[in-house]
Amino acid sequence: MSTESPEPYVSKIDRRTALAWVGVVGAAIAGGAGVVVYGPKMGGDVVTRGYGTDPKLAKPEKAPWSRIMTPDQLTTAAILADYILPASATAPSASSLGVPDFIDEWVSAPYPDQVKDRPLVMNGLNALGAKVLKASAADRAAALAALPKATDAATQAFWKKVRHLTIGAYYTTEAGFKDIGYIGNVPRTSDPGPSDEVKAHLDRAFQQLGL
Amino acid sequence: MAAEPYDVIIVGSGAGGGMSAYHLTKSGMKVLMLEAGRDYDPRVETPMFNTNAEAPLRGVGTPDKPFGFYDATVDGGWQVPNEPYTVAEGSEPFIWWRPRMLGGRTNHWGRIALRFGPLDFKPRSRDGLGHDWPIAYDDLAPWYDRTEKLIGVSGAYPPQNLLNTPDSPAGCLMPSAPPRAFELFYGRAFKAMGIPVIPMHGAVVTGQMEGRNTCLFATPCGRGCAIGANFQSTTVLLPPAMATGNLTIATNALVYQVDLDKAGRAKGVTYVDRKTGEHHSATAKAVVLAAGSGETARILLNSKSAKFPDGLCNTHGMVGRYLMDSVGTGVSGQFPHLEGLPPTNDDGQGTQHTYIPWWGYEKQKELGFARGYHIEIGGGRHMPSMGMAGLVRDDESLVGDDLRAKLRQRFGSTIGFDGRGEMIPNDDCYCEIDPVAKDRWGIPVLRFHWKWGEHEINQAAHAVKTFLEVIDRLGGKPEGHVETDGRKAISKGGEMIHEIGTARMGHNDTDSVVDQFGRSWAVPNLFVMDGAVMVSSPDKNPTLSILALAWRSADNLATVAKQGAL
Repeated sequence: MSTESPEPYVSKIDRRTALAWVGVVGAAIAGGAGVVVYGPKMGGDVVTRGYGTDPKLAKPEKAPWSRIMTPDQLTTAAILADYILPASATAPSASSLGVPDFIDEWVSAPYPDQVKDRPLVMNGLNALGAKVLKASAADRAAALAALPKATDAATQAFWKKVRHLTIGAYYTTEAGFKDIGYIGNVPRTSDPGPSDEVKAHLDRAFQQLGL
Repeated sequence: MAAEPYDVIIVGSGAGGGMSAYHLTKSGMKVLMLEAGRDYDPRVETPMFNTNAEAPLRGVGTPDKPFGFYDATVDGGWQVPNEPYTVAEGSEPFIWWRPRMLGGRTNHWGRIALRFGPLDFKPRSRDGLGHDWPIAYDDLAPWYDRTEKLIGVSGAYPPQNLLNTPDSPAGCLMPSAPPRAFELFYGRAFKAMGIPVIPMHGAVVTGQMEGRNTCLFATPCGRGCAIGANFQSTTVLLPPAMATGNLTIATNALVYQVDLDKAGRAKGVTYVDRKTGEHHSATAKAVVLAAGSGETARILLNSKSAKFPDGLCNTHGMVGRYLMDSVGTGVSGQFPHLEGLPPTNDDGQGTQHTYIPWWGYEKQKELGFARGYHIEIGGGRHMPSMGMAGLVRDDESLVGDDLRAKLRQRFGSTIGFDGRGEMIPNDDCYCEIDPVAKDRWGIPVLRFHWKWGEHEINQAAHAVKTFLEVIDRLGGKPEGHVETDGRKAISKGGEMIHEIGTARMGHNDTDSVVDQFGRSWAVPNLFVMDGAVMVSSPDKNPTLSILALAWRSADNLATVAKQGAL
């Protein structure tokens, strides 16, 4: 069977931000305490600071830290995110909403929770990339389908983490709101309370529960 | 500073400082307000309607923004850069939430505005535990009325006549928005257990109120409110105080000392400018401390002189004593009967629409703990966050359309139950000056001591048991690991951000720091008008009471000043 390369992932971030990150992708540098720190391959200043204790809230700025994922890792993340949430009849795919960029933002962040996730996600993407980037469609599908059934702890943790990040990133967007049925975040002159339809649903529940 | 002679310096701009400034400036007094944080304008800075996708990391909490990116808190949280605090060796954990912004914690608070009840002021008389206040509910009731009418509080309902859960008189409250689906749902279980469910009192304008915008029934109050539809010092108290022309506000002014004249009267305060590091003094005829219970105690303890070698007003060792917080517990559940509900907008009015006041006042002897808790309950279909993945279990390896369907089905089917309970003051909970640690400007910092008592621990265990029973009655399953051991289930000291006490009011200078009007026993023109003056820590969240007490105390200060008796 012939191998077919997947489409490289194209970032959904704006061009100016993307240019600022050029050169900040690439080689892994071994850091202290056995933690692998991913740093720049060439040029560009590496920014590792957080957004600080007084960021602008009403019009948030892009997270300031440099992104560390390579094009291959981004493409692998896109393949995986679209395995988790491909386009449906009514909703877009995870990659089209920029979920791989979010995963990059997450693993690149300087905060403890995200730093803890970094090797887990990066190593997992590297391992998966080897199986899906230059593989037949059938092999790629098999590699993805194997993830949820993996028995080794590292792959299990990677799968849970990336699914968690993908679901969170996806459903926090407007398209995600629509898909999950969130109809709030709109100004109203009053709160009328639940509809008769909702109350009827509750009445059935109360009957079943004997309440 | 002090280009003009000030009548009063107020330290702090939150609930206590804001209310003091409101009343004193309206009484014609010239006020200088010193706020440690930066200037802050909710009208332009509030992230109303922003989605999590617009925020770094989808808005999750980080060490820079512990309650999430959009939480209103500026330059603070459990740690403030350059301003450490310590916890004594051997102490149970204590954590201290501080912002550095005009309006303080009123910008992000939960807007739960419950009155203390009659029993809450006389706990020792009732069961021999804790201490009685020098005032009774009836002394504060008219100030609660005025405060509710000024700040805008929802929760009107025909009188419930529940023990120690005061109904506000007609005209004080606006109606709440109707209960949402999850509130109707849990209400049935509590009613089946014989436990009343009543409207929450929330500091949110839900109806027509002169000079105020009505709630938009969307976007969380914790972000602040650009239209001033909920209560924040920065939208409700400081603008009218400024409009009198009597208020001067200096920000980034971290007060660390009250200055005395030769006669032992307060002549002003000294502060460091947090931006320049320069030290300044300001003078006035009277000083009001409303910096928050911890910071107020710190200022007093750092104000040492020959007459007060252990800190101002601390001759009897009462400053920093009887530090209290609320007892916090929480369990959440997932409910199959809430799955697949037709589309419904649960954004609501910001606060809960209903809640469970403590119902066991008459059973406490048999319960094994002397004081109770109310229950704050959150649920419904809130704006999706990174927590969405929690709707599918790790062993449900769903993807694609199956995953979408499962998430849609379970969206809004979880409910979180939180106990907020009374703590009895004890000798092991206090703050003092750390003998070594100092902040960036060399000012000694606070060291906390904490230990929950048996009553609190037993109360926490009872709360968890109650939540599990309710979850079971509603056909649900608790989420995650549930701690049933009260010692493990209870919150950390300070975690409920209701730290109060430390300069309590009382009957004389040996049992307290200030009198019933916040006037210090030791220095006749020095006043405390924040939560530091509180004698007990009822389950009811303290902000409304801080406001009412500050108004009552400021009114007394203005009267005393007019009589020339300052």
